[in-house]
Amino acid sequence: MPVITFGEAIRQAYREEMLRDRNVFLMGEDVGRWGSLYRSSKGLLEEFGPDQVKDTPISEAAIAGCAVGSAAMGMRPIAEIMYIDFITIAMDVMVNHAAKWHQLSNGKVKLPIVFKTQGGAGRRNSSQHSQSLENWFVNIPGLIVVMPSTPYDVKGLLKSAVRNDNPVVFIEHKALYFEKGEVSETEYLVPLGVADVKRAGTDVTIIATSWMVLFALKAAERLHETGLSCEVIDPRTLWPLDKETIVRSVDKTGRCLVVTEAPAEGGWSGEASSVVHEHCFGRLKKPVKRLCALRTGIPYGPVLERQIIPNEDSIVQAVRKLME
Amino acid sequence: MNDGDLQSLYSDMLLLRRFDELCLRLKMKDLIYSGYHPYEGQEAVAVGFCGLLGKEDILLSTHRPHGHAVAKGVPAESVLTEMMGRRTGCSGGLGGGMQYIDAAHNFFCGSIVGSNMPIATGFGLAIKQKKLGRVCVCLFGDGASNTGAFHEALNLAAIWKLPVLFVCENNQYAEAMPAKEFVACERISRRARGYGLDEITVDGNDVEATRRVAADLVARIRKGEGPFLAEALTYRLRGHYVGDPEATYRTTEEVNAWREKEPLKLAREKLLLSGVSAWALDAADQAVKDKLETLQEWAVRQEFPTLEQSVDHVYMPLPQGGLVCR
Repeated sequence: MPVITFGEAIRQAYREEMLRDRNVFLMGEDVGRWGSLYRSSKGLLEEFGPDQVKDTPISEAAIAGCAVGSAAMGMRPIAEIMYIDFITIAMDVMVNHAAKWHQLSNGKVKLPIVFKTQGGAGRRNSSQHSQSLENWFVNIPGLIVVMPSTPYDVKGLLKSAVRNDNPVVFIEHKALYFEKGEVSETEYLVPLGVADVKRAGTDVTIIATSWMVLFALKAAERLHETGLSCEVIDPRTLWPLDKETIVRSVDKTGRCLVVTEAPAEGGWSGEASSVVHEHCFGRLKKPVKRLCALRTGIPYGPVLERQIIPNEDSIVQAVRKLME
Repeated sequence: MNDGDLQSLYSDMLLLRRFDELCLRLKMKDLIYSGYHPYEGQEAVAVGFCGLLGKEDILLSTHRPHGHAVAKGVPAESVLTEMMGRRTGCSGGLGGGMQYIDAAHNFFCGSIVGSNMPIATGFGLAIKQKKLGRVCVCLFGDGASNTGAFHEALNLAAIWKLPVLFVCENNQYAEAMPAKEFVACERISRRARGYGLDEITVDGNDVEATRRVAADLVARIRKGEGPFLAEALTYRLRGHYVGDPEATYRTTEEVNAWREKEPLKLAREKLLLSGVSAWALDAADQAVKDKLETLQEWAVRQEFPTLEQSVDHVYMPLPQGGLVCR
């Protein structure tokens, strides 16, 4: 299989879906001329023209609103919010309308929208360009929340998101765009709501999301050298959550660590932890442990922003504690 | 416009007025559950603009939507029973009086002030790109013109030249806040100039004027000249909601002065002057009242949605299943 970057995998997904269905279109700030901040739509304006690739003003409410209206008319918008931190401006439309219209129309209106954005720390952008805000959306009935971690997954999940008829909040991680991985040349989809076991193991289950999956895998490798076997699960979709894969794993290992870049309080990490406690309580050898960001705004610069979020070292330590 | 036309516009307004009064009575009996936003006094806006649209045209309304909905042609049965939370309502009784959708009639409303305006751009984009020849009308109030969504929507609609008619139904009050105090410019229509659009203001209590302006702008939009923003000057004769503390923000004298120029009174006087008999107008009024009485008797017998139905349409199913909300 060819090895490509995460950003290129996104570009391939866009191309394939736009070729397959002319109702699919991409809009957002600088998705056309620039080809997006991380070049994931490079060349698409030239190839598909402005009907399918639309640069917009810096108007996140209008981007989200335009997505809702056009989707109600049968188009399939991919509405890009350049940084998830800017999504606050689009929240009204997303939460009060996109998430509600299918129900308010008695099932008549469908809104096949991908609200595509990127979040997280790692590029030294401080507290208004580095947040992990996925938890907000998990708590809104009517939305699907996707957080891919590999080039293979991002391509397959994005294609599935475009083809599904619900509004999806599709959150990439800014530290992942230049990560490389194998991506099949033949067409494939990764289904929404299905987790992936990124590494099989027997002693501890590590549930990690987005960028944290990469740290979890590195930590698992180090722990393997010391004789500890970790199973790393990437839920890929925060909601709907693939509880079966998680429960099956923890039933086997009896220990579970949940790793997210978002702060723990009131977050999805608590949801994942509760799922394990509710379904695996009798088989748990230790209470579930969460490893999340410190409860602070992301500090500026290269050093502190790495220290306040989980990393390979802190995951190794947390797993060792679970084994005590 | 001849008297026959005015007569039909008048009877359309009469239906909205009597419908509003029926809702008021149902609210007093606690058969409408949420805060009720009366429409009395603004009927010439709904009839002038919404009444002009075809079923295929899109109408985005506000938190005071029932006049717009009925004027657009959404069946009164489904509007009324939606407000009463019954299963036969257009949103299955799950939306209530401020947020409902009738997809078949392309009617959408919601209770967040200003947030329908960005959505209108999407309808406009689809109409334009698919060359459907339809029009999207987006109603909003003086209060909405102070939101960020107003600006984002008008700018996008203007740069993309979208087939959208934004209609500011200026009823002088955003809840208790007088427009003359809370809107920084004298005319909201003047804000259109900031987006390179014409400044269009119409007497929102003169139904012939609202219809004339609506017909002109809609025709121009169908020819590709959109978008437009028009401000219709009217007056909310009742409180923001039934029972609001009106004395805190306006005087009885002010309301009474506007009652003298409310749209049904103006239209009726004009019809009488033109030779239409009072008897004929009163007979038509009685017919509307009778019809609504029958509607009410039917409405109170309708079922409420079940718990199962309240989670029926949260999501479209995924291909592999797995979206269960119960």
